Amino acid sequence: MTTLEITGTGWLTTFTDLGRRDAERLGVPTGGAADQHSAMVANLLVGNPRGATLIESLGSGLAFVPDRDVLLAVTGAPCRVTIGNAVVDTWSPVVAPAGQVVRVTDVRLGTRTYLAVHGDLRAPTFLGSAAPDARMGFGQVITRGTQVRLDTGFVGFPRRFPVFRLPVPALRFGDGPWVIDVVESPHSIPGIRELIEESSYVVTDRSNHVGLRLTGPVRHPDNETEIVSHGVPIGALEIPHADELIVLGRYRSLTAGYPIVGVASRPSLPLLGQAGPGQELRFRWIDREESIRRFARREDELRALERAAADALDLPCRRTQ
Amino acid sequence: MTAASSTITVESYGDSAVMVAFVHADAAVRRAGIIRFRDRFLARRPHGVLDVVSGLESLLIEFDPLVTGPEHIEYAARLLAESLPPALSRAVRRFTIPAVFDGPDLASVADEVGLAPAEVVEAITGSVLTISLLGAAMAPMMDGLLVPRPVRRLAEPRTDVAPGAIMIAGTNAIIQPFPGPTGWRVVGRTPHTIVDISRPAPVSFGPGDVVRFVPVTRDEATALTGSFLVPS
Repeated sequence: MTTLEITGTGWLTTFTDLGRRDAERLGVPTGGAADQHSAMVANLLVGNPRGATLIESLGSGLAFVPDRDVLLAVTGAPCRVTIGNAVVDTWSPVVAPAGQVVRVTDVRLGTRTYLAVHGDLRAPTFLGSAAPDARMGFGQVITRGTQVRLDTGFVGFPRRFPVFRLPVPALRFGDGPWVIDVVESPHSIPGIRELIEESSYVVTDRSNHVGLRLTGPVRHPDNETEIVSHGVPIGALEIPHADELIVLGRYRSLTAGYPIVGVASRPSLPLLGQAGPGQELRFRWIDREESIRRFARREDELRALERAAADALDLPCRRTQ
Repeated sequence: MTAASSTITVESYGDSAVMVAFVHADAAVRRAGIIRFRDRFLARRPHGVLDVVSGLESLLIEFDPLVTGPEHIEYAARLLAESLPPALSRAVRRFTIPAVFDGPDLASVADEVGLAPAEVVEAITGSVLTISLLGAAMAPMMDGLLVPRPVRRLAEPRTDVAPGAIMIAGTNAIIQPFPGPTGWRVVGRTPHTIVDISRPAPVSFGPGDVVRFVPVTRDEATALTGSFLVPS
């Protein structure tokens, strides 16, 4: 067994994964990594299955020391990763030698980073997932001093650490407004499509894993909607009674009485999961077919990485099971 | 249910979900219908369906858009809605839930619906409630509250309501499983633990199950504190 001794954390550092499957029918949100794309890529880069348990950190500050050599990857928002005194690549497999401190600092543009380590992180699970559900008392919080246990088959590379040429589909973080693709919904509000398209919205500090609250121009429905609780997809754009726009996140619950004017396209959800207070967002309407085409391309990229990483990492990583 | 009531609407939300609802003038029929539809849909789960989210009168069906599409889900949903059996595929469980009606909103609810507080308690304990869905954090959301008119939610939600709180809004009741905020009106509390995430099955109830509240004294409630809710 390998141990990562946590010597520093972000504002919030937790175990997570891609979330609970088939749990929403039980009233438990799927939850999991806010930026699922970065989480999947981090795992693939170290030869793990996409849905393996990993560590999500909000902001800078994560630091840890492994007691054996480990193969790791850090993805998500642009940041500076050091091992000992050396700066290493993000969005790439790297080896952290035993006893060297690994630090994630200078997180910028986005809010979250993902640390995957080859092997199985030992973390508690609830309904089959290590994703936190703070509301249900399942916090999964990692603090300074936590000893994170890991079962890994990584035995090191034969000679030096090889240079990988992996086809890595890194998420692009612009330093201007981020463009989010949205698919229109039935029963929208007349004129809202044009208004949202030509306006700019800013993420407020009242945003969290349940949803982003945005300031910007909105329009309310003329007639009052009947209040009947119903489910809403992740990425739904809602207009509450106040003059703001809400984009629902992976920990959303039922909603009632708020019109849904659109739903963010799947390939745009990772960026939404990275948006922090002050981030400017613009919305672009696309049709469902275009949304699926983009999603299919994203999936193809992930599969290409999956194959390439499996080839590159097969030798030095014995299967643990 | 009559043939006409099996008419459903299926609408696409985003790139990987559709919402199913029953078309009927009577809300009770729509609400009973969606519980049975959900049960049947999950039992016959079409290929590519990942999960469902229950609403009071709707079912949001989430699917993998690279495996299936809204037209396939709609086709399956309409087929399954056409021949809904009159009962659930499993036995309905019955719960008798002990309650102390000392909630902070009892008096204002009584005022609003034009009853005395004791009459509100009688209305609640006289209602045979059906669990419509498991809401946030597995909270049982129940329908069928016999109040003179639908109860309004709070304009300013309470920020921290204790687990076990019995709350009402509209013609619905719900039990708070974990501490947290709510806009529902708090009228009482049950000493039972409603959700226990350390159990393999964290709850003992599901949509379609039947609930009655029975008043108990504070002492009787204290004796039951923390025990896990099971069917009676």
